[in-house]
Amino acid sequence: MKLAALAALLLLARIAAAQPADGERSFRDASTRGDITALEQLGAQRPLTMWSDDAWAEAARLAVKANDFTRARAALEQVIAIGTDDRLVRRARNELARIASFTGTSGEHTAVAAEHERLAPQLNAGTDPKPALRELERLVRAHPTYPRAPMLMVALAQGWEREGEGDRAIAWLREAQTIATVPADQLRIGAELVRTLIRTGKLAAAEQELDRFAGGASPGIVINLRKDLDRAELRRTVRWLMWGVLVALAAAAVLALRRAAGSWRAALRRLARPPMEALFLVPISAVVVGFALTGNPLIARTVLAIILAGVVTSWVSGAILDGQPRVRLGRAAAHAGLSIVAILASVYLAVDRGHVIDFIIETWHQGHERG
Amino acid sequence: MRALWAIALVLVGCDSDNEGDPESFLDTGGSLEIEGCGYTLTTRLGAEPPKPSGKVIGSDPTPRAVHLGIMGDPKTSIVAQWRTADETTTVTKLRYDKATDSAPLELSKVVEGVHFRYNATGTDLFHMHQVHLCDLEPGTTYSYQVGADDHWSPIYTFHTAPDVEAHPDAEVVFGFVGDSRGGYDVWAQLASQLQLRTPDVILFSGDAVTIGLTQYEWEEFLGVAEPLLATTPIVITNGNHEANAINFFSQFALPGDQENFSFDYGFAHVFVANDSPDNPSDITSLIPTLMDADFTDHASARWKMLMHHRPMYSSGSRHGSAMDIRAAWGPIVDEHKLDLVLNGHEHQFEMSKPIAGGVVQTSNADGTVYVVAGGAGAELYDFGPANPWSEYTESAHTAALIRVRRDQLTLDPFRPDGTAVPTGLTKTKL
Repeated sequence: MKLAALAALLLLARIAAAQPADGERSFRDASTRGDITALEQLGAQRPLTMWSDDAWAEAARLAVKANDFTRARAALEQVIAIGTDDRLVRRARNELARIASFTGTSGEHTAVAAEHERLAPQLNAGTDPKPALRELERLVRAHPTYPRAPMLMVALAQGWEREGEGDRAIAWLREAQTIATVPADQLRIGAELVRTLIRTGKLAAAEQELDRFAGGASPGIVINLRKDLDRAELRRTVRWLMWGVLVALAAAAVLALRRAAGSWRAALRRLARPPMEALFLVPISAVVVGFALTGNPLIARTVLAIILAGVVTSWVSGAILDGQPRVRLGRAAAHAGLSIVAILASVYLAVDRGHVIDFIIETWHQGHERG
Repeated sequence: MRALWAIALVLVGCDSDNEGDPESFLDTGGSLEIEGCGYTLTTRLGAEPPKPSGKVIGSDPTPRAVHLGIMGDPKTSIVAQWRTADETTTVTKLRYDKATDSAPLELSKVVEGVHFRYNATGTDLFHMHQVHLCDLEPGTTYSYQVGADDHWSPIYTFHTAPDVEAHPDAEVVFGFVGDSRGGYDVWAQLASQLQLRTPDVILFSGDAVTIGLTQYEWEEFLGVAEPLLATTPIVITNGNHEANAINFFSQFALPGDQENFSFDYGFAHVFVANDSPDNPSDITSLIPTLMDADFTDHASARWKMLMHHRPMYSSGSRHGSAMDIRAAWGPIVDEHKLDLVLNGHEHQFEMSKPIAGGVVQTSNADGTVYVVAGGAGAELYDFGPANPWSEYTESAHTAALIRVRRDQLTLDPFRPDGTAVPTGLTKTKL
């Protein structure tokens, strides 16, 4: 009798010792497969093991990834009900609250949230985002009380701005501003609106918006936006100045060419023939552009623009001087000086485009990329 | 109650009579052994030697920018850090207790800390306060508040790392993010989203601010994320924009020399490296040596991760792959079969396929996955041409959650509005 009892005890001890390893294996297998059902079954098994709450937690994680928020909530409630790991239970409570914050306390926005999650990746998928943008617009119009509506509107604004529809982007941000209630969202929308106005060149409106925003935002964010705005204003002024210089130089070049050639027709004939300067420059330019294209595409585009400006300037310059047997030193110096000014103005406009100028400033401050 | 810690001053320069006096500021840096913690707190050139809590209460000693750090074993220790509205308060106190659900909460244990000032640019001195708690229980939630006399912070909670020997089912969660510089409104949102997901540690891959010496940016970075950072320790690496500024080293309690160090949390072993060091030759000499030695010492770690700023693999159009880092550190990553390499620098999200020896592997088990999540607020960058090793790219502000269990590591990225990025990583080990 005693022997049988001892054998039974040994068997029980063996089962108890084996159980965690079995539980761990089942947990690992199910989670590796991403099998939510198997995890739910593991979590529901009785007696409970140390892996039961983990199985429910993992089931919840996978359900969230699958946009199945109802299933995720049910799994999280199980973690809270049976959990023995204080941290896991705390995390489950917070996750449940997080899901409720956008699906609604009784799950009334669950379907909208799932649709939002389904469409959101299409805005950055590398394909035409317009169909997804329009669907998201319909979604937010049909469900104005959806808790994530303000941030969905921010995503719409970003999407439309990327598509070149700045006014539509600003309209969405203004609408988001009127319905946002969460402080972090309000801060983001206010700052985003100022930035969008700056990016789309509406600097006066950005100034107004920043003044309004400054009252409720922390000083560091306001200082940074103010710097962005000041920089944009300065760059706009310099940009206009550079365009002005280029237009003036182009007009002067046209007149000089007409005078040197004797007639408009002769001037056109001179321009049609590539001058020696341009012929020398083109092969070198081709090599430089070729090298640039093997590296950073942003820099390559800028190099291409600068080289084109250089070739055009040398072409026009060569055409003006073409056929003149002797040029006085003073005139030659003025000619070269104006060509350099034209090139510098072109260089500024090239680096201003695509914010390459920020890249240059960063390199100036911090040294070149060692890569 | 056991004594929590005591301080033994090993450097001169702690005259309490002139502790708040700008004239007495000594910017030599210095060290203080934190007794009971088994480590020494060292301040750098530009900061004064750390001093024990003083007696001065300034005009506004309200604590602000409260945030947690790690210097010792995260199972049993944590560092609370903050600044005060004034720059003269020297009283540095923390009261705490195990968290309970029952009210009213009594924070019965009071400890004193250290403080020191630092000077970035000009003549302004900034005052930093730290309290080191070193005999905590593993896997335990504590409530605490910091401050002085009648000027206390809100009550926050923190959690110590689990003892994985006692709890083999323990899950730890890292929040991974980088490059907030200039976009603190986005960072505030991401911090809020991270807090909802209850991570154990924040891994920040650098470029928190645009110019490391600009204190107002640090105030913004720490201020808008205080609810997260006062409850979750942050482990941060120096980015090219921090530029090894004294503000960076003074405001973040980190293990070792604060530049190249490692720590264990749950089943994860994380090495953090400074890939923008003052001496660029460290990239090819000192750092690979330290990294190799560390991963050799921790060869038995279940999950190995490396965090630094400039990515070895990136399809970004702005900087692209840092080939100098790849050449110097790539072989170590391969040799020690690291699971994840975490980076920023490019303001976008990218996850690689598993890579070993520069070659794409068919299984996660055979290679290292490189993740760039440099979208914590800085202006977004575009991608260049697609690379064959790239698994997923998205030019969006993002953060990611890394869950680590004994046999499983997962990575789930998300955007500031909480929506999920439709990719991720699941890696299992027997």
